[in-house]
Amino acid sequence: MLEPTMITWILIIFGLALIFLPILIVQLMMVLRPHSQKTWDFIIGKGEDWRDKTHFRTSYGADWADLVIWLPLLAAGSVGVIQGQVWGYALWAASGAISVYISIILWFSEREYVYPKGGPLAYYTYFWGFFVYWGVAVVVYSVLRLTGVML
Amino acid sequence: MKILKKEVGRFPLGVWIAIVALLALFLGWGMQVYSLLNWDSAVDLGLQNERFTGDAAERAWAKESWSVAVADMLWALPIGIVALTGILRRRFYGFAAGLMELSIGVYFPLVFAFQRWETYTETVIQAIILWTIPSLLGIVGLWVNREYFEE
Repeated sequence: MLEPTMITWILIIFGLALIFLPILIVQLMMVLRPHSQKTWDFIIGKGEDWRDKTHFRTSYGADWADLVIWLPLLAAGSVGVIQGQVWGYALWAASGAISVYISIILWFSEREYVYPKGGPLAYYTYFWGFFVYWGVAVVVYSVLRLTGVML
Repeated sequence: MKILKKEVGRFPLGVWIAIVALLALFLGWGMQVYSLLNWDSAVDLGLQNERFTGDAAERAWAKESWSVAVADMLWALPIGIVALTGILRRRFYGFAAGLMELSIGVYFPLVFAFQRWETYTETVIQAIILWTIPSLLGIVGLWVNREYFEE
């Protein structure tokens, strides 16, 4: 058993409140009502026609993959970690790895569009930053816990 | 699941499957390295789909694909090296890194599949056969043999 500590609980709450819930809502909007004006304004952004077309397909692909793989790993991992199970940390590490991976892709592919709209505070927090901070923290923390370090 | 624990030479069958899945991912990273070094040639060889010299939409797609290649080099490749090294040395960090790497191996081909199914169906099917399915089987193989790895 790997009993949850204060750090574990901080990562659980951060992950569920600031990563899982917002992404679940956004991705469900995209999957259930991909062509609604609200979805387009919120996720795709208003811009040139070519950007709408490409960004729509990019988001659509990531949305489905998030719902099928990433978010279930995050949720199941959190349940496992709360129960103090080794598999919870393994799933957490996997979801953290995906979170960092997609964030690196977004940094290079769309930062130039997203950053000017939101500004540094929004970008380095809920637009992009949270996913990197949480992903890196969870990967490092999970590996340390799995190798016997008590944090 | 017992068959995945059956020793075949140096490793249990499930671990061999994970190793093969990791090697398949390394093949992908090799393609990405080549693409980053010579993008146009990679498009000619069919490793990438869009050029930076096309219209605005094609350039946007090329940028996205280039971003994926960079993310593969900065994040997925190092995790893959740690995973393969750790698994071959029967260490628990190899198991953890293996789960992370193979999760990315499941995740990104799915993003690609949902993005490009209508335009590059053949490539999507190849990516799923080459990476998603082996990665999924590799995750199962590793998980069944989790007690095989030393902490």
